Formats: sequence, C-alpha cells, structure tokens
Amino acid sequence: MTFSQVLRTMMIKDSGKNSGQEEQLPPEQDIRPPTLAHTLEEFQDCSDITHLTFPNHQTDLIYFDQMTDKDKLSRHILKPLLSGNDEEVAKMLQHLQPFRMTSSKSLILEILSGGVAVFNGQDAYAFNVYSPENRAISQSETETVITGPHDAFTEQVSTSLAMIRSRLKSSHLKVLRLSVGEITKTDVYLLYVKDIVNMRFVEEAKKRISEIEVDAMLDTNMLIQYMDDSKYSIFPQFLTSERPDAIVSKLVSGRVAGIVDGSPSAFTLPTSFFEFFSSSDDYYQRWILGSAIRLLRFIAFVITISFTAMYVSVTTFHYEMIPENLLLTLTESRSRVPFPPLYEALLMEITIELLREAGARLPTKIGQTIGIVGGIVIGQAAVQAGLTSNILIIAVASSAIASFVIPSYVMSASIRLIRFGLILLAGFLGNLGLVFGIAAIVIHLSGLTSMGSSYLNPVAPFEPKDWKDIFIRAPFKSLRERPTQSDSPNKVRNKTKE
Amino acid sequence: MNKIMRILLVVTILIMLPGCDYRILERIGFTYAASYDAAPENQVEIGISIPRADPTIDLVRELHSAVGKSSKDARVKFANETDLLLVNGQIRVLLYSEALARKDLSNEINSILRDTSISPLVKISLVNGNAKDMLFKDYKQHLSTDKYINRLLEKASTNNRIPKTTLYEFERDYYDDGIDPIAPILKEQAEDITVDGIGLFRGYKYIGKIYNKDVLLFSILRGKFKKGDMGLDLDSVRDNDGSHEYIMFTSVVSNRAVHVKHNANGPIHVTIAANFKGSIHEYIGDLKLSKDADRHQVEKKVSEILSERGNRLVKQLQQYNVDSLGIGMHVRNSMSYEAWKALNWSEEYPRIKVDCQIHFKAKDYGKIR
Repeated sequence: MTFSQVLRTMMIKDSGKNSGQEEQLPPEQDIRPPTLAHTLEEFQDCSDITHLTFPNHQTDLIYFDQMTDKDKLSRHILKPLLSGNDEEVAKMLQHLQPFRMTSSKSLILEILSGGVAVFNGQDAYAFNVYSPENRAISQSETETVITGPHDAFTEQVSTSLAMIRSRLKSSHLKVLRLSVGEITKTDVYLLYVKDIVNMRFVEEAKKRISEIEVDAMLDTNMLIQYMDDSKYSIFPQFLTSERPDAIVSKLVSGRVAGIVDGSPSAFTLPTSFFEFFSSSDDYYQRWILGSAIRLLRFIAFVITISFTAMYVSVTTFHYEMIPENLLLTLTESRSRVPFPPLYEALLMEITIELLREAGARLPTKIGQTIGIVGGIVIGQAAVQAGLTSNILIIAVASSAIASFVIPSYVMSASIRLIRFGLILLAGFLGNLGLVFGIAAIVIHLSGLTSMGSSYLNPVAPFEPKDWKDIFIRAPFKSLRERPTQSDSPNKVRNKTKE
Repeated sequence: MNKIMRILLVVTILIMLPGCDYRILERIGFTYAASYDAAPENQVEIGISIPRADPTIDLVRELHSAVGKSSKDARVKFANETDLLLVNGQIRVLLYSEALARKDLSNEINSILRDTSISPLVKISLVNGNAKDMLFKDYKQHLSTDKYINRLLEKASTNNRIPKTTLYEFERDYYDDGIDPIAPILKEQAEDITVDGIGLFRGYKYIGKIYNKDVLLFSILRGKFKKGDMGLDLDSVRDNDGSHEYIMFTSVVSNRAVHVKHNANGPIHVTIAANFKGSIHEYIGDLKLSKDADRHQVEKKVSEILSERGNRLVKQLQQYNVDSLGIGMHVRNSMSYEAWKALNWSEEYPRIKVDCQIHFKAKDYGKIR
C-alpha cells in the first residue's frame, strides 16, 4: 500500500470517528431542562470538578475550581451560602435571576467555560466567574523590534482583543465570533474595520472558517492551513503576527484579522508574498533606514535560496565563472574533500538545519552549548578534517544567516526548505538547473492566491504605486492610499497636508 | 504512478545522478596561458601552463607542450600526459611567436573563437623570440610566469604603455572596415619580461612593429586615453648649443579628432588633431616653467617634436600598408557607402596624405617655482 493510500484511509477513519461521536450525543439534550443529576452524570469521572452541597438551602454548586476567580466566587456565591442567613441566600438568588439556564447543554457549556452552576430546587443558574491562570503580557520572542511597542499577544484571547481595542478606538472595529472544533469548541474571532474593509473578504473568511469540521483547533497557524487556497503549497498564504501594532496596521489598511483563542498569534488576510518581508520596525525607523533594511531582506532572500546552490553549480560545472584569485584557494580547499560538491553541500546544510532545530527545541541555556559545539564543529573541525571546503562553510553560513533576516519565521522556514530543492537541481544541471528551479518557484508563486487575490500583488497584477510600500518604505507623506490588494472601498488613508 | 512516488523518484534521481559527474573543480586542469610557436613542416608547437593548488605537492604549475598539425592536434597529445581534465575556460593569456604570426594566425585564432568556453577577454600577445621558452621559464623575482605575464599585460594596458588587446578587441578590429588589428609584443630581458612594442597586423598576418619609444604617441593618435608617461629630448629641434634639454610628463587627458578632406583630383587629405594635457614631472633645461612665456615655448617645442614624430609614424604605417590607427573608419564615415565600396582602401591608404597636429598643454608643473 502506498503512503498516500495509508493517508487516505486514515483520513476516512478520522471522519468516521467524528460522525460516531455526534451520534453518541443524545439529540434531546438541547431541550432538556438542566438538572443536578444530569449535570453530575455528565461530569462523571471528572475529578477536577468541585461539587458543593448546602442542604440547609437546598442548594448545590458545581464548578471547576482552577478556572474560577476565588474572590468573585466567594463574594457573590459562597459567602451568602456559608453565612447560613436565609435572607442573604434569597438575595443572592434574586441577583442570579438574569443567569437562569433553560437547557442542560448551555449550562454544561457555561461550566466548561468557567462558570459556576447554582442549583436551587428546580432552578439552575450559571454565573461566570472565569479567571484562568494567565501568562503576563510579555515581549514577542519571534518578532522582536528595536524601536516601537514591545508587547505581544498572549494565549488568552480577551487580553489580545483588549490590546487591539486599546490601539484602535473605533466603534467601526467589528469583532465576529465563530466557533471551530467539534470537541475543543475553540472561539475564533474575526476582526475588521467597517467601511474600510472589503466585505467580500470578511464573508469569504467566515465561510471558510465555518466549513471547517475538525476535532480540535489549537493554534492560529493550524487554522490558516485549513483556510489556504492552495493546501499543497510550501508557502504560507496568510501573514501571522504576535504583535498588536502590526495587526492594527493591517486592520486599518483594510485587511481582515483573525485570532484563535489559546493562540498568541493573529493572522491577517488577504496576504501577499512581499508582506512577509516587512517588519513593524521599518515604520518606526526613518524612512531611508526602513527602505534600506527592507531591500536588505530581499537580498537576503536571494542569498538564502541561491548561495549554496550557486557554490554547487559553479564548482561542479562552471569553473569559468570563478574569479582568478579565488580559483586556486577554492581548488586547494576542495582538493582534500572526498565528496562531490553536491554531497558536501547537502552534508553541511543538513548539519546546519540539525543545529537550528536542536537549538529551537532546547532550553536557552543548553541551546547556547549547542551553538558553541556547532560553531566549532562546523566552523573549524569540518574543514580541518577535510570534510568540506571553507568556501562552502561561508556559503552555507551566510545563507543560513540570511534566512533568519526574513522577519516571518514561517516564511523563512519555507524558503530554507526550497533551498534544498535548488541545491539538488544545481548539482544535477548546474546553472541551468538553478534557473529551472527559480523559474518553477516564480511560476508557482504567480499561481498562488490568498483569499482569491493574487499572492504576488502588487507585482502581478502590476500596481507600481504600491511598490513604494513593498520594496522600500517611502516617506509617510507619499503613502497616501491603502494597498490595492485589500480592495478597500475607502482608498485614502493619509490626508496630511504637506 | 501516484504523486508521492513520482516526487520520491525525482528526488532520488536528483540525488543519485550528480554522482556520475567528474567535472569537479579539483579534477580539472584549467589552462591559464598557452604559447604557440612555429614548428618545422608547417606544424605548430603548443605549450600550456596549468596552475596547481594541491597542498600535498610542492608544485605551482604544470607545463606541457606538443607539436601538432593544429592546436587541437597538439592538445590531444599532451592531454594524455596529465591526470587532470584539460579545459580552456580560465585561459587568460595567448602568446604567439613573431615567427608564427608572420605566417598567419588565422587557424589558431579561429580555433580559439570556436571554443565557446574561452572568454573574449583573453589577452593576445606576440613574443619576440620563442613563446614556449618564455612561458616555461621561471623568472625568479616574479610570480609564476603565466600570472606574471597576465598581470604585466594588464598593468601595461591600464597605464597605456600598450593599447588594450584582448581577443574581443583584436576580432573587432579584424572585422571592422577601415582599421587593422594590433597586439603587444613581449620580450625576454635577462630575468624579466618587458614590452617590446606593438605588433601591426594586416588581417591575421603580422606585418611590422612599432618600437617602444613611439608607443605612447601611437596611443595618442589612436584615440582618447587617460594616463601615460612620456619622456622627450627637446634638443633635436633646437640649435645644438651644448645644453641638454629634457622633459618628462604624464599625460592626463588626451583626445583626438580626425578631419578628412577630399580633393577633386588629389589624394585624400587627413588631419589628425590630437590635444593632450599633461603634468610635467621633470624638466631639465634653461627655461623657467613658472613663466608663462617660457612654458608656452616648451609646450610648443613638445608639440612640434611630437607632430613630426607622428608624421613619421604614420608614414611608417603607410609603408607597411596597415591602417592600425583606424584612419579608414574616418574616411569611410566621410563618404557615402557606395563611394567607400568603390574605393579600394588598402590600395588608397599608402597614397593618402596624413598630417598630424599634436597640441600639448602643460596642466601643471608641480610645486617648483
């Protein structure tokens, strides 16, 4: 059986499981009135649930202790009950009237999302005292900037939304709540600025998210893969960011943003390939610096995909291209290497990737050790042992460094993988192979779309007036219109008089 | 076949196939310089120099030579003598002996042109003497000989000791209507190599040579250039009163204009007007350069001497019947295409009247007053 067949049968099994679960849920649960007995039965074997009974008041409490705000719970619910004063209990129940539950299912949902269920006789109430342990707002690890705001989204969506709201004080900022995940019931929020966004994108995003039928949705980066136009492409088709300022800037440029509860990153759409090469820093620096850095990133892109491949093709096929003075040093260091340049290059590239992966998964302190060991092993010993030539070390190292210049980690990972394809092609056909590879990448990129809009926007379709905010970061006074890609009904964004 | 299998197959092929190739850098012997000499029975002797950079052996370059009917014939012979795969893509210098060039270089140059891996920037040079001996000899105080020659030619052409002659320029002049190609001539001089002059070609045939002392003048007459040194004895035009007058200057800027005048029933009259400015480095004589009048006198003297020498040089070229200065191009531009076609330039050239007018201007004369 081939791999794809295995994959297919697994997928079929998965969907079978899903439908099975749906059948297990009693259909009448929706309309069933909430009862203590049924609720307890539902949470049977959940040892983390707390069930308190106050026989004096015929009252029962059910809640998850670790998800609730102790202070709120004791002030509003526990204190009146513990006081033993009937009057106070009656008062409390009076206060709870707006939270009265009519169906068992919604009551259970409330308990699951951090509420306390109060059963009093036939009545059931759910009072939200949700307050989970939460990570403090901290700096983004993946998207650091030197100037500009340093805060990043946290895993809790309410904090993230607050960070956006506090930056974008407008009633036109609309937030849609959708739910994804049959079991996890994850909240997904779609954000847009009314009158600036093109509703076409909002509708399309809503449609794609609601079409997802899956057990669990754990992260934004997972969600956007379900929403991709081309699911087999190596390139990310949505920009993700942990930075509230970046997301706000996308929102006001007419794009749609989305956040998944439990994920510290948000995504925006529609996205173009070139967006992955810009960082918030570009806008906080003087424009010339911003432009220079942006151009540097495009150079880094070229270096990272072609440097090692170029080494392979030149040493294997095109000795004519090597400058006279380099030729002898190159031959000298190559002459001790027992492998053809292709295997030599693959060996080094894989070692670098191993180091990077090991460094990424390990705690910072051990990560440093890995860096030192790797630096010595790759930098010196490999050359001295005659495993590689030192020119290759330079090529591999500079293309690895260049790959980290690209601000988006997802994009930089994609590009690093493409590099291997180009190295193989270069080892097989030399510069011709390299050109074939690059042509294939360009053809593929041109064919990609993000939410139905071209991925290579504004290069194709050709929108030269957008280039000043793509290849360079022009002074603000010349950035007067929102990007064409967002197709905003309200084009002008900067009316400052010169 | 399904998609994943196909991708796996492609990747496997890409990984496996490069193993077949052995054109890898360290197994290639790139010819750096080649020499061509005339051999008996109309054969040529080819010598090549291949730099080696193997840290395990104490060898700077590998030398091979063979005699054959053609350059490729000889190549096959010495290709058997080396463990390296011989290639031509890094060739920098081609040396032809004067003896071979006097016969004809068309076969040799054509075989170079036919090889697409050879850069058009390869330098072409003639050798006064045996080219192979010059290339194979080690000059103690210099780099390995092939590099030494290459850099020597490069330096000489940037300093305008010789005009730039790469294969590209040689071929351009060969095919262009109204100009003949040239090439520098090198000579072995004890433990050094030196530029001996400029070789004048008619087609691929070496005809004559311009000696060292006239080389700068030749460059001035040939077109504009930026840098060059020249020393002149000014005594020749002066009444010999015993005092020695000598001037040495660096030409900074030079340009020339060629004026063509057609006379109804006389030869074509060509005027080459060249202006050049120079910094005077040395002046030995009685005149004070800081005085305007004196300086103008020196300038005039230099102009006169150079103009006269220029005229002599052009005469010499006319005698050889080689239009290395490209006068023909200017004549061609001054007439209609039909008229040029009707004109047999190589017959006409020795008969035309050429007048060189060289104007020297001292740009500065240093800090001395």
